[in-house]
Amino acid sequence: MTNREKLALLENMLELEEGELNEEIKLSELENWNSMAKLSLIVLMDDEFGKKLSGEQIRRFETIKDILNFME
Amino acid sequence: MINPMDLSEKIILVTGASSGIGRVTAIQLSKLGGRVVLVARNKVKLNETVDMMEGRGHTVYSFDLIQIEKIEELIRQIILENGALNGLVHCAGIAPMRPLGLTKADFLHNVMLINFYSFVELVRCVSKKKNYQIGASFIGISSTSSRIGDKSKVAYCASKAALDSAVRCMAKELAEKGIRVNTVMPGFVKTGMYTDYMREYSNASDAKKILARQYIGITEPEEIANAVAYLLSDSAKTITGSSFLVDGGSLS
Ligand SMILES: NC(=O)c1ccc[n+]([C@@H]2O[C@H](COP(=O)([O-])OP(=O)(O)OC[C@H]3O[C@@H](n4cnc5c(N)ncnc54)[C@H](OP(=O)(O)O)[C@@H]3O)[C@@H](O)[C@H]2O)c1
Repeated sequence: MTNREKLALLENMLELEEGELNEEIKLSELENWNSMAKLSLIVLMDDEFGKKLSGEQIRRFETIKDILNFME
Repeated sequence: MINPMDLSEKIILVTGASSGIGRVTAIQLSKLGGRVVLVARNKVKLNETVDMMEGRGHTVYSFDLIQIEKIEELIRQIILENGALNGLVHCAGIAPMRPLGLTKADFLHNVMLINFYSFVELVRCVSKKKNYQIGASFIGISSTSSRIGDKSKVAYCASKAALDSAVRCMAKELAEKGIRVNTVMPGFVKTGMYTDYMREYSNASDAKKILARQYIGITEPEEIANAVAYLLSDSAKTITGSSFLVDGGSLS
């Protein structure tokens, strides 16, 4: 999966417009980055990448890039 | 001395007997004289449960309820090896959390399969002639989630409401066979399911608010097991089609 495709998954999840996200964006700056979004991310990682993501790991994510790296 | 919850000579099938409420229920039923047929996936943990039980003649069947079309064969084998059943307790259940935005049909279906469809299939098979004994009692473990909504829990809450609704129909249909059907409806109970939920998901749900409603405290699994034992016993001879609340006051 390309980075653009991964970004598109996140944009869709966060109900953002296409192209609105980039790797440098800090999660703390995202208005929609709330507890429901975090749970959605856990589900997305499981569904799309077969990866288990814990609450602890999410707390260590700082930027969109950190999430993309985990998707590898 | 009398024991209104005496279960001696009764053969009772318990699903989900490898942990939590199902495990404690299997143990408690054995202490009341019951002979228990234990079902869940994890054979090692099922055998651990048996080691904690009293009495003899308990049997273990490792089975994944997701294979719903094989339940009929499982029941045939269980009846052949253990005799006709006096009771069925469906404690197996899953509670995955998922926001509505990601709750698609395949996810819903999976939760319904374990929590609800498998119960209907078990009841359908056990209520056939020669598979049950007169006075048999069937119980599904529902939840106050059947009545209290929560974020990220559409599938779970709906599966529990389906159970409560189904037992009202089953009770009417099976009354002429002398079978009673009920649910037990717990609030929060101290098991692995509860601690996982509180640790991982309490921020993405109303868990804390719902917990606060349970003003008399968290329920120990033994109390659920005792409610189940009562509904299985002949003391509850006219209780059918009901949902027995053990909710720490949360719905009051
Ligand atoms: N704890 C609470 O606060 C609470 C409150 C209200 C209602 N309940 C209900 O009470 C019931 C028991 O919950 P619990 O707290 O005891 O949870 P638990 O400790 O997680 O136990 C769940 C049981 O279900 C079995 N199970 C799960 N998937 C299965 C499958 N595919 N096939 C066969 N067995 C399966 C598990 O066994 P294996 O993994 O070995 O298969 C395990 O024995 C559930 O229906 C739950 O919804 C719990």
